[in-house]
Amino acid sequence: MFLSTVILVLQEILEAALLISLLLVLSRLLTRKSRENLVIPLAWLSFSVLFGLGGAWFYAAMTPAVSQWFDYVGLEVVNASIQLFTLAALVVFCFMFSSANRINRPAKLNTLAPVLMCIIVVMGITREVSEIILYMNGVMSNRLNVSPAILGAIMAAGIGVSSGIVLYFLILSMPVIWSYRVCMLLLALFAGNLASQAILLLTQADWLPYTAELWNSSTLIPEYSVTGQLLYALVGYEANPSILQVIFYFSSALLIAFSPLFLLAWRNSQDTNDHDLQENA
Amino acid sequence: MSSIRFFLVAGILATLTLFNFVAALRGYQSSMEEADLLLDSQLLDFARLVGRLDVTYNHDELRLGNNLAFQLWQDGEIVAQSYHAPQEPLAEFSNGFNYSNFDGYRWRTFSRQESTDGRWVIVAERTDLRYVLAENVVLESIMPILLSIPLIGLIIWFIVSQGLKPLTRLSTQLKNKHVNDLSAIDASNTRRELEQVIQSINSFMARLNQSVEREKRFSADAAHELRTPISALKVQLHNLSQEMDMDNDSWRQLEGGVERMQHLVEQLLTLYRMTPDTFAENSQQVDLYQVCENVIAQQYTLVESKNQQLELLGDHCSITGEEFALETLVSNLLSNASKYTPDEGSIRVVVEKQGDRVELRVEDNGEGIPAVERERIFERFYHNEKNPNDKTLTGCGLGLTIVSHVANLHGVQVSVTDSSFGQGTAFKVSFPGKEI
Repeated sequence: MFLSTVILVLQEILEAALLISLLLVLSRLLTRKSRENLVIPLAWLSFSVLFGLGGAWFYAAMTPAVSQWFDYVGLEVVNASIQLFTLAALVVFCFMFSSANRINRPAKLNTLAPVLMCIIVVMGITREVSEIILYMNGVMSNRLNVSPAILGAIMAAGIGVSSGIVLYFLILSMPVIWSYRVCMLLLALFAGNLASQAILLLTQADWLPYTAELWNSSTLIPEYSVTGQLLYALVGYEANPSILQVIFYFSSALLIAFSPLFLLAWRNSQDTNDHDLQENA
Repeated sequence: MSSIRFFLVAGILATLTLFNFVAALRGYQSSMEEADLLLDSQLLDFARLVGRLDVTYNHDELRLGNNLAFQLWQDGEIVAQSYHAPQEPLAEFSNGFNYSNFDGYRWRTFSRQESTDGRWVIVAERTDLRYVLAENVVLESIMPILLSIPLIGLIIWFIVSQGLKPLTRLSTQLKNKHVNDLSAIDASNTRRELEQVIQSINSFMARLNQSVEREKRFSADAAHELRTPISALKVQLHNLSQEMDMDNDSWRQLEGGVERMQHLVEQLLTLYRMTPDTFAENSQQVDLYQVCENVIAQQYTLVESKNQQLELLGDHCSITGEEFALETLVSNLLSNASKYTPDEGSIRVVVEKQGDRVELRVEDNGEGIPAVERERIFERFYHNEKNPNDKTLTGCGLGLTIVSHVANLHGVQVSVTDSSFGQGTAFKVSFPGKEI
């Protein structure tokens, strides 16, 4: 029970923690270079986390009702919708930094950018933590499981949050241009992960057709190993993805990769990059 | 997030937690694998024991717990079994360990054929209960790691705070330094890492001190070296005017030029004399109305020479400021108003309380300043372009710069609006203060 709790809770916490870390890194990088205050203020972040936790509790409480929607596939459909909504917010955020309107719309960017970041955080936490609540409710109904489940959840939360913090400091310790590049690359992969998960859920709900499995690497890196979980959270690793999942994974990742914010990171000169970021913000 | 303390504590604690917890997890997995082997060997022993059972014995009296079950098969029939074992085989008739489901649980099974009589012994243990003890033992060993993390966090916080103390001390020392104190910082008893920083700060302080001293000397020297010859020049001009007929343009231009030079030197010296340091040193409670009265008394001759109406309205109000600087501000505003107001025009000086502020207003009914020029009038050496050749308007273009400078020293702004006379300009400065 302990190990299965660690694995499930870790999967959820790790994803949320890494997402928050990436957004904080990006927010900090943009702020460092800009004259405007684009960072998610810590108060905003705290409210987003609290709001996300409240949303998770509400969603978990509503799960019995939600699961009966759409001919008993409501949970899959709603979860997929949350993933797609988060993806949309991420795409809008990355495309807001349109190079054609660098200087013209700073005020709009300054209000909308942190709001979009907070929406992404709230959605992420609601989705991940609601699954933890449902799982813990289930396993703790057996008295014998209470202690291992709580210990497992604490350990997983510790590993997940620590990984987020370590990743945050690791990325920020790189040269500015590289921390920006790594951050955008991980965000692109995160977008791919969101799309892939949404496709999997919609396929499970029979809203999309089943497609053949493209590969199976479960013997090489099992999905439920700690490495598998880390890779899942970082790059959306799946041991046996379907063709449709892979197509949507790469499409979404490429969409972010062609956004102005991403392309800005791959300009040759750091000076150009600093200059452009300043103008964008 | 920009705090060094937060960076160190969060970074170290997160790394420590991550590696500790992952190591504990690996420890748990290894321990459970070992426990699995141990429990399997116990199951094997149990199978051996069952294989030696006397089949005529009433096995219900064995009182096995819910977690164990067995079957003894001979020639395809059960010859003995535990009370809750089903009638079907618990597992396949093949030697070794396996898993099966019955009685609503998942069981770890072991099958073995006795070599002596060919009987099959199948034993089973509930998996959910099988690991309870082992897991509890392993978790007990992990518990201290979990519980120690907050304690480790506190200890790291304490150590980091101790490590940062010299830096905090230096920061406090710099913060508490008086604006005029440019003495070196004590570098003894500090950490090696900070020595270079303190040396650089001290070297910077020394250079700054020299530069301040040079500036002070320049002000004093300039005051003496420039004023004296100008005064001598004026005396000589006066003497010359007594001795010769000087009623011509060249003479008047010469006299006007010397007047302007004296004014310029005085204004330049005033500008350099008023620094934030002297302001902070001499700042005190000042009656702004009284200041206006004094300035008006000093400048009354100037106003009278143009037959201008001058009135002072308002109440005695106290503000925090430097008296000399405030006198200069009022004086410059007043002379400016008089300069740009035609003969027999009107000037009004008002000091009044507005809420928790005291407003000084100097307005006239002169030509006024166009809105587009109002921003530029505070620039150094700015002159009214409408009257570039008007010799009556002697000025060096520093008067309003000084007004703005004094206002900035007091943390307030000067605003320029239309005068309440219907034409002309009003200069307003709003200070925090109270009525006396």
